Amino acid sequence: MLVLDGVSRRFGSMTAVSGVELTIEPGGFIGIIGRSGAGKSTLLRLINRLIDPTGGRILHGTTDVTALRGRALREWRARSAMIFQQFNLVGRLDVLTNVLIGRLAAVPAWRALSGLWSPADKAIALSALEQFDIAALAAQRADSLSGGQQQRVAIARALVQQPDRILADEPIASLDPRNSRIVMDALLRINRHFSITVICNLHSLDLARSYCDRLIGMAAGRVVFDGAPAALTDAAARDLYGLEAGDVMGAEPALPAAGAVAGASVAAPA
Amino acid sequence: MTPNRTFLPSTPEVLARYPALAAAARRNQVWAAAWLIAALALTVFSFWSLGIAFGQIRSGLSQLGWLVAQMFPPSTGSHFPLLLHAMGETLAIAFLGTLIAATMAFPVSFLAARNTTPGTVIHFLARRCFDTIRGVDVLIWALVFVGVVGLGPFAGILAIAVSDAGTFGKLFSETLETTDRKPIDGVLSTGGSQLLAIRFALIPQVLPVMLSQLLYYFESNVRNATIIGIVGAGGIGLQLSEQIRTYDFDQVAFVIIMILVTVAAIDWVCGKLRFHVIGRST
Amino acid sequence: MVSGLLSLPQERVDQLLATYARAVARRRRQFYLVLAVLALLATVAGRYGEVDLAYLLQHFSNFTSYFGRILPTLTFTHFAADMADWYWNLSGWLKLLVDTILIAYLGTLIGTLGAFATAFLTAQNTAPNPYLLFAVKRFHEFCRTVPDIVFALLFVAAFGLGPLPGILAIGIHSLGTLGKLFTEVVENIDMKPVEGVRSTGGNFVETVRFAVVPQVLANFASYALLRFEINVRSGTVIGFVGAGGIGQDLFVAIRKFYYTDVSAILLMIIVTVVLFDLISERIRHHLARLESDR
Repeated sequence: MLVLDGVSRRFGSMTAVSGVELTIEPGGFIGIIGRSGAGKSTLLRLINRLIDPTGGRILHGTTDVTALRGRALREWRARSAMIFQQFNLVGRLDVLTNVLIGRLAAVPAWRALSGLWSPADKAIALSALEQFDIAALAAQRADSLSGGQQQRVAIARALVQQPDRILADEPIASLDPRNSRIVMDALLRINRHFSITVICNLHSLDLARSYCDRLIGMAAGRVVFDGAPAALTDAAARDLYGLEAGDVMGAEPALPAAGAVAGASVAAPA
Repeated sequence: MTPNRTFLPSTPEVLARYPALAAAARRNQVWAAAWLIAALALTVFSFWSLGIAFGQIRSGLSQLGWLVAQMFPPSTGSHFPLLLHAMGETLAIAFLGTLIAATMAFPVSFLAARNTTPGTVIHFLARRCFDTIRGVDVLIWALVFVGVVGLGPFAGILAIAVSDAGTFGKLFSETLETTDRKPIDGVLSTGGSQLLAIRFALIPQVLPVMLSQLLYYFESNVRNATIIGIVGAGGIGLQLSEQIRTYDFDQVAFVIIMILVTVAAIDWVCGKLRFHVIGRST
Repeated sequence: MVSGLLSLPQERVDQLLATYARAVARRRRQFYLVLAVLALLATVAGRYGEVDLAYLLQHFSNFTSYFGRILPTLTFTHFAADMADWYWNLSGWLKLLVDTILIAYLGTLIGTLGAFATAFLTAQNTAPNPYLLFAVKRFHEFCRTVPDIVFALLFVAAFGLGPLPGILAIGIHSLGTLGKLFTEVVENIDMKPVEGVRSTGGNFVETVRFAVVPQVLANFASYALLRFEINVRSGTVIGFVGAGGIGQDLFVAIRKFYYTDVSAILLMIIVTVVLFDLISERIRHHLARLESDR
């Protein structure tokens, strides 16, 4: 069970995520919805620990995730696989190597540094690619692939990390409708087949409703909705997307919303 | 009288009507005049301070005419094999110098790049170190290394290696700073260490660019390696300065032609290779 | 979970692995080939360059001790006296340093004026005559390919020792490099004003003066400054062949093993070069702003 206990993150004078309280049971398909800049992306990066919170704690069972350092932190990251809007593959490396990067935390450092992957690791990576019908592209350079193919490579990379949860940050925002469906189906299959928790930032409310079994609505860095998709009434959705963030919260002054995500993507992890 | 004089107002009339325009024009003229006078004054001062006499220019020019006439026809002076060997030495100096420079600069450039440096103090020190090395001309380095390891091409190799290590350090660290952050996040998010992120996400991005820079500087080092022989650090420059000292200007002309041809050939080859490196990487 | 992932039969995995291995084998072969060629070239170059690693390792202490010896002994208690001792010839060196800068200035001036006078002849869009364009272009090429120090050697033979051959050498080499850069600037101008002046009946000189020069002046100045920066650097070494400036004293100091003089002069050179780099960079940024504001 993953617990976010008052987690906050500030970038300079701007608060991207503020006092988020969440409990996430394993095995669910959770959608995080909200306007761009609501802090969704920062929240996922906080869970993966790509960025550190400026306040609050993240707990996993009895482990304080926010206190993890070094080897333990890297193992946590491996178990909380990320999928990015821009895929974040290494364009000049071939597809198989990109998937094998998902094995980095599991192999000895000398093996990883020299790039001498064991046949077993290669077999795992190829199996993951075959799951998404792209094993034939294994030797191609990642940047020669289409967006949809690249995102499937990224999902394969996430899968070989043997994660407990997959954090998908707007996985389909750069894709056309057909590829969006392929990618979302792949995530759903992973969720059902391997019972890996999927936490997915989504722009589209329709997709969120049809894929997720729980929705979390965010505005101005705060959780403003948490419940089953059916409970999200049209009025609540309008509140979430239509009004100014500050208006929803009442007390909190309106934040420069569009900056939050941009701030998150340039911030370096410690 | 031209017809337009009759309906166009005279210049003073126009300027009187637009005082701001007149002032701006005057200001520009004053500035231009001031710059010209300053440049002229500095020029006159330079001539006086350096003690250059016009008589020297006149006699020098006629001597130069004689000297150029001596250059034709160019001749090998019957030691062509020696010249060829010296040219080979020149290329060897440029090649090894560039290679060693890149090898030394590569690891240090990570300290000098803002996104990979372990600390701001180290970043600052590495940067200043590169700047200092670059502040010294390659010929000075050559002279210094002749003092250290004696006459010969080895001094030249070291000179080019050190001098270009500064240049490469700066260039490489700038290349590192322009890399894409996303693949690095990708590697880190899977649980890879900083070192592995550099190995898998950073180096694949920068290597082709650095190779291209390497080739470009090899070209420029071939030029440098032709002259460091003048101070005794090996290569064709030694022959060149010897022949000028002994007034064998037909051979001087031949060596200069040799240099021009070699430089052009190397430029051509490197241009092809660079195209190949960049072509393959995009 | 990996076992769940590995739902593929072993033969399918082997088949995929073999396909992948075949595809990367060619790339890998190419990589090793390049490495082998590099190693071969390095060995041959080592032969030609008389690199003796054993000798180097044996005498490595010479290497470090040289740099130790050129450093002055400065004590905290007698700091002023030690400094005065180190820079015993400060006024003489300063005069030579000023000479160096003046040589660079005059050389840059000659190069800039020469390039200014010829760039309009070699730019495709303003050139009045294609034969002239070809000839002047080859002249530029010659001037920039022959290193300035080679020109300096020749000019010393013609004009005798002193700053004059240095000025001319730097000037001619600058003419070649600036000629090329100026030509590119002129080729990138907006042609509409040129057509405007031509349409009023302007000749070559008038067209250049009123339609081209206003567009290129800031860029020309910026390139000339950059060249000045480089020429200050060159000015420090042309003294090696007797063409004036601080180089001649450095040459003597290194050749005659006046150790602390070497570091004293080197430090002065580095400070001067870095200082001029900074100043000229400031001015060039200013010029670039002027250009973008236009």
